[in-house]
Amino acid sequence: MSRPAAAKALSRSYAGERTLTFLVGLLAFLGGALALAVGSGGLGEFRGRRPLLDPIALDWLGGHATPARIAAIVLGVLLFVLGLRWALRSLRPEPRPDLDLDRTEGAELVVTATAIAGAVQADAEQLDGVSRARVRAVGSRTSPALRITLWLREGTDLKGVWAELDTRVLTRARDSLGLGTLPTAVRLELDTSPAKRVR
Amino acid sequence: MRPFVRILATLLGLAFAAAGALLALEVGWHWWRPGSAPMLVPWPRWQADLASLGWDAYAVRVGAGVLAAAGLVLVGCALAAGNRAVRLTDPADEVSVSTSPRSLARLVGLTVRAQDNVAGASVTASARRIRVRAKSALETEAELRPRLLATVSALLDEIPLVRRPKVSVVVDSPKDRR
Repeated sequence: MSRPAAAKALSRSYAGERTLTFLVGLLAFLGGALALAVGSGGLGEFRGRRPLLDPIALDWLGGHATPARIAAIVLGVLLFVLGLRWALRSLRPEPRPDLDLDRTEGAELVVTATAIAGAVQADAEQLDGVSRARVRAVGSRTSPALRITLWLREGTDLKGVWAELDTRVLTRARDSLGLGTLPTAVRLELDTSPAKRVR
Repeated sequence: MRPFVRILATLLGLAFAAAGALLALEVGWHWWRPGSAPMLVPWPRWQADLASLGWDAYAVRVGAGVLAAAGLVLVGCALAAGNRAVRLTDPADEVSVSTSPRSLARLVGLTVRAQDNVAGASVTASARRIRVRAKSALETEAELRPRLLATVSALLDEIPLVRRPKVSVVVDSPKDRR
């Protein structure tokens, strides 16, 4: 993927799930359409009247019994492994990686994901115009990133919030962690104003 | 749509895993003991059924139609599960910003409602398009529409959006109905 880490951190990737669903849907559509074409005589009148389990195909399979069996078993095992991997991959929650600050043997220093999230969240909530903030670590342990969701009060100046976020929150987080770069994705949400009572 | 596709992908994966396991087991079992009954799947009966069913049978055609339709639905779900977030320009390296279509619509709605002679407004927004439907009792569409377009346009100039959405404004005014 050529997308930078910060852009990837904006939201969980659905590429795998979408590709799988798309491909399965496409195959089902093509198979169904082909069967319809055969059944309606699109590939010849005679072809359409033959049984589904064609004797010619069965004869051919019977003639190549051993390779066909091996192929079927390999296909089955492959489907089993891949299907299980897909299911587990989709069910797994998005990881919250811890940050390795120091990997020196004997002096390892790890900041847990919740610790970073809590610290940055407390800072972000101090900003003017921010009513609520949610921070979580995303990505993998080798390339961690932060995802910050800010709920802004009505009438807040977007650019002002951004400038403060950069100078106060992110810079502080980078400095305190001693990191040169910390890919960050910011999601801005506009809060609804609290309902006013009419008297 | 996104959580739905995630569940769908999980179920598809499980279905593939189950089908693959059954296929491998049955084929292996039949190879090892050709004479004995099948383990789980009554495939000899299915074989007989399928051999007596022609491609032009009604059941086969209906089944094929249903399969094709289900495939189209899956493709539609996969295409609809795209990311709808509205991207803002990256303010610095290693930082990316986005907002939700709902927030953008809320922002536009606040600005439009703050205009004179606007009684109410509903706004829908996406990364490509903003639709404003305003109500006014005092001005006609011809009077109010250019003003609202200019206002929304000025607001969009303020927000550093990656892609500038097209703006369409409709004014609903009783003065136009006379």
